Amino acid sequence: MDVTNIAAISGNIAVIGYGLAAVGPGIGVGLVVSKTIESIARQPELAAKLQVTMWLGIAFTEALALIGLATPFIFA
Amino acid sequence: MSKATNLTEVFSAVLKQGLLLVAIIAVVGGGLGLIFAGVNGLISGLIGAGLALLFSSLTALSVRFGGKLSLGGFFGVVLGGWIVKLVGFVVLIAVLKGAVFIAGPVLFFTLVASILGTLVIDSLIVLKSRITVGTD
Repeated sequence: MDVTNIAAISGNIAVIGYGLAAVGPGIGVGLVVSKTIESIARQPELAAKLQVTMWLGIAFTEALALIGLATPFIFA
Repeated sequence: MSKATNLTEVFSAVLKQGLLLVAIIAVVGGGLGLIFAGVNGLISGLIGAGLALLFSSLTALSVRFGGKLSLGGFFGVVLGGWIVKLVGFVVLIAVLKGAVFIAGPVLFFTLVASILGTLVIDSLIVLKSRITVGTD
């Protein structure tokens, strides 16, 4: 039986990897920041503590992005 | 490791101790790279540690200096800095990926080790900090 292609895509699959490395941390940082804004609005006197905690949350989330974006060095 | 009591002290400690840790990782990573991949490995180890230090420090600096602004300014600086940083990182990775002097695995593993190491430092400093209510 002959095989017939009815559709084809071309390009680099690594682009999908970039997308995944961007979308996950993007959602994560969005959640961290939105909850920090809510918390500061409720208790402005805790702003300094909340900013440090938020920074820690962003640091962990962005670590995933940096590692994900650097994977071409081992998977290429 | 003394206890930080305000934002300035927290981020000063983060930057100093992060720099120290990344310098150690750069020496170890560069040395291992030199053994396993020659001069390219040494260069890649140093670049990987440098990238990790640069990009983890930028977040801390954005919170440090953004904290002096109004709430809108703070989030503008932190999130604006974050997106500019990630775009810059993508561009740097794209440039370095094609460079002839790069040993990919050495750069990657030095970068990962530095990022995870700075996260440990950050967590320890924040856990030990005692930020008083109402400080800036």
